Amino acid sequence: MSARDDILARVRAGVGKGDADARRAAALARLQAGQSGPQPTLTGDLVERFCAKAESLASTVARVDDYAAVPAHVAEWLSARQLPLQAVTALDVAGLDWAEAGLSCRSGVAVDADPVGISGCFCAIAETGTLMLLSGPATPASVSLLPETHIALVPAARVVASMEDAFALLKAERGALPRAVNFVSGPSRTGDIEQTIVLGAHGPCRVHLIVIGENS
Amino acid sequence: MNANARHSQAMHFTARAADKVRNPVLQQALQKAKPLFSGKRAKAMAALPDDGLEFEALREACAGIRDRALNDLDVWLEIFEENARARGAEVLWARDGGEICDLVIDVARRHGVKKVTKSKSMLSEEAHLNDALAAAGIEPVETDLGEYIIQLAGEAPSHIIAPAVHKTLQEVEALFAEKHGRPQAARTSADIPALAKEARGVLRQHFLSADMGISGANFLIAETGTATLVTNEGNGRMVTTLPRVHVVITGIEKVVPTLQDFATLMRLLPRSATGQTISNYVSLLTGTRADDESEGPTKTVFILVDNGRADVVGSHYQDILRCIRCGACMNHCPVYFSLGGHAYGWVYPGPMGSVLTPLYTGIENALDLPHASTGCRQCSSVCPVRIPLPELMHGLRQEQQRRGLRPWGERFGLRAWAWIAGRPTLYRALTRIAARYLNWLADGEGRIRLFGFAPGWTTARDLPVAGGGKTFFEQYAASKRD
Repeated sequence: MSARDDILARVRAGVGKGDADARRAAALARLQAGQSGPQPTLTGDLVERFCAKAESLASTVARVDDYAAVPAHVAEWLSARQLPLQAVTALDVAGLDWAEAGLSCRSGVAVDADPVGISGCFCAIAETGTLMLLSGPATPASVSLLPETHIALVPAARVVASMEDAFALLKAERGALPRAVNFVSGPSRTGDIEQTIVLGAHGPCRVHLIVIGENS
Repeated sequence: MNANARHSQAMHFTARAADKVRNPVLQQALQKAKPLFSGKRAKAMAALPDDGLEFEALREACAGIRDRALNDLDVWLEIFEENARARGAEVLWARDGGEICDLVIDVARRHGVKKVTKSKSMLSEEAHLNDALAAAGIEPVETDLGEYIIQLAGEAPSHIIAPAVHKTLQEVEALFAEKHGRPQAARTSADIPALAKEARGVLRQHFLSADMGISGANFLIAETGTATLVTNEGNGRMVTTLPRVHVVITGIEKVVPTLQDFATLMRLLPRSATGQTISNYVSLLTGTRADDESEGPTKTVFILVDNGRADVVGSHYQDILRCIRCGACMNHCPVYFSLGGHAYGWVYPGPMGSVLTPLYTGIENALDLPHASTGCRQCSSVCPVRIPLPELMHGLRQEQQRRGLRPWGERFGLRAWAWIAGRPTLYRALTRIAARYLNWLADGEGRIRLFGFAPGWTTARDLPVAGGGKTFFEQYAASKRD
């Protein structure tokens, strides 16, 4: 007997219910029903909440009026921290006029030497101050992972309340999951040496969020 | 003999425990960690009502999700398998640790893999996979900082989410100096970021050069055929993004039906584990790299593992399979914090380990673990999926009695007690004598300083004696008369 059949047979014996077809139909019906558990009741503006939560997780947050203002803000933010004006951008934000702001940008997959990665996001979650990033040809996951600095552009209109709302938006707009969905909440961290929190474990040491547009 | 038992030291728990209690460096590390673990969790739970959430309601929901999956586990596993395959992943099954190693090495050979980077996987500890990989000429590199430290030290994890909690800063410094080939320096806690950065530099090169990534999965999502990874360091993202091949090794009990179920569980998992409202990186991995993508694995393999789990389904102990590996039970366990994780002798320490180790390695091979309890019940009051850990340990103790696995003296003593307790007149007479005797030993002070029969009870504290020489029955009868 194959390992698969052996394991499933013993699980089935343990479950001890019989009638696998009816149970399967009930399980598939449950998937259709899409029930969710207890969700938070967030008070106040979602965008404000997102910004406050993200800052509490050691990200920095700035607000700008529109996309046109982004490149100059990025240049200024990097200069103020003596960081290189050099970045790899995801394709979906490569169209901004980075060069005019004095930034040298390349678009595509990130490599080890890239000091700064600039990405958009699929949406953002107010409850936890979290970015939702989808992998794809125009949005490589490495841009938010390999560089020491990650800058993310967050349209205010794309801030949703919860992870459940983010999944619903994904289902409505894309149907299926991409290869990787990454929920990112601040710079990478570790507490593995004497439970002391250090920012910048393997991923970015700093995350800067630029929220674009007005509150919802 | 149970294959897991070959690697288990759980039968030597008492001797190992005595050793750990006397280790001052270990005790220093544990005493430092203890208030941090419980304090962070308590703070996170206390903040739940600010968002209109409530711990009891959430854990009711989380336990319900896990029960739903386990009560039809065969069906959910098949649905997961179909959906994972539909997205181009290969789904393999392993009965035990040996089969895990064989499958992983086979995948590695098929794809010409020389180096493997690993994100934390307790299943790989169950299988002793690193030894098997090295023996097959494949270099395994642990990339979670804690796992990396203990791999350098040639040790096993002592905690499921903080594997190097037993190591002090000075020990890490000595280890890095030796293994990274540099002189040892005097270090204070202000140097911890420098050590983390040193590891980052070494491990970054491994991430970039590995051919295969191995990870566990916190959950499998049946409706989408997805593996989920919850990490803080970003190593989980590295090993699932950069290498050509990704192998997920996970227990069959980890499946949950829907994305919504996962979202609910994520409200309690990070809070219970580290006191975070969310972990830095929560990744959902489905299938392989698309044709138009230029990164991500071109081959994804799931290895679904039994290794003792299937036989627990439908048993008296099924509730333990709800476990989501947050570590809250050990973080609140006075036994764990007196001994550290290594004393437990197998992969899983603390209360959940005291239940899992006997079940997965054989009850007769871990006799002491179900007794490693003070009866304080903190583990069950913090468990995010409401596992009745004290009751499960109690069940294992009863089974030891039934199977005649306890020492002769203990079995005889319990039988004698049962015989006496079934005869009320005799019972009252004997307890009267015992109460008078204890009161005499206490010398009117209400406590015994040195108890000659069992001196262990009074080596570290006095034994309190209540009632002033009267039994409970005598006191109760007296209160009725008043």
